[in-house]
Amino acid sequence: MHIYAFGSLCRGEVSFGSDVDVLAITEGFDSRFDPDAFSIYSYKRICDLWKDGNPFAWHLATEAKLIFASNGINFLAELGAPSQYTRCAEDCLKFARLYEHAIEALKKEECSAVFELSNVFLAVRNFATCFSLGTSKVANFSRHSARRLGVRSLNLSENAYRLLERSRILSTRGAGQMLERSEVDACFDEICKIGFWINKLLREITADGRVQQQNGGPAPGAEGSERTTLIR
Amino acid sequence: MEAQRQVLKAVNGRRSFAEELCGLSRKAIERWLNVNRLEPTGEVARILLQISSKLFFLSSKSQEQVTEEYRLLSREVQALKNELEEAMVALLKRAHGN
Repeated sequence: MHIYAFGSLCRGEVSFGSDVDVLAITEGFDSRFDPDAFSIYSYKRICDLWKDGNPFAWHLATEAKLIFASNGINFLAELGAPSQYTRCAEDCLKFARLYEHAIEALKKEECSAVFELSNVFLAVRNFATCFSLGTSKVANFSRHSARRLGVRSLNLSENAYRLLERSRILSTRGAGQMLERSEVDACFDEICKIGFWINKLLREITADGRVQQQNGGPAPGAEGSERTTLIR
Repeated sequence: MEAQRQVLKAVNGRRSFAEELCGLSRKAIERWLNVNRLEPTGEVARILLQISSKLFFLSSKSQEQVTEEYRLLSREVQALKNELEEAMVALLKRAHGN
């Protein structure tokens, strides 16, 4: 059994109410670990993530700190660097779609607004992390990765950004002040415009300005696509 | 994600509570029960927590691991969503004294 700390604690990004990310690597099911408190992975799954060059493998390789090793060996360090990350365009497109679906849902009367805004935050954060991992030498795994891309950073007002972050914390940790309808309305147009930023970066990570899906079709909003629902 | 969206719609769609259910994490469900003064051991709570646990398991699987177990769990989540809709109707009837 191995236990590692990772996430905001290891980056020194501590704030009031920050959660503590702890990874437990176990041989099969281990009832001692509460899934609400630990990210639980088998050794095989971790090895598969390393082999795939998965962003989570790079995240752990970059910042995880060993807390306990039942055999006295730092398992992750022994694995060395994960395989090269090759799915940047594919992953970024996946998070672009998550954003797109959240915006579509937010436009409907019966939506769960906090949940959808939380999805926007998740999409933006993961999009930026995958973009940084795929395009630069220094990947950014920060919760605020979208604001740490230098000249490519997401340009969003503090109010709108905090609204998204609050939604994410409400949705995952059940903590924080509930959103007021007026707060959502005040930021909605700005949040819809995040699609411009996503599309701009999507164009950068493909040689011809188009991201090909696995089935060969064009990305949403790309020239020639029937679907143009990503905000342009 | 779509499964979560549908479950949340079953709860929030009626606009019958002081505070909406913000997500399907255990902590978000506990907050919703507490703020809306709902029975933490009631039928709706039980079903929501069961859905939460199954969705957590599904989300921890990668897309390439679409196994029979995955399909079975997806069907179970769908069945629980139907159960939830019935439990919500019963809960609201009780709340309105019908």
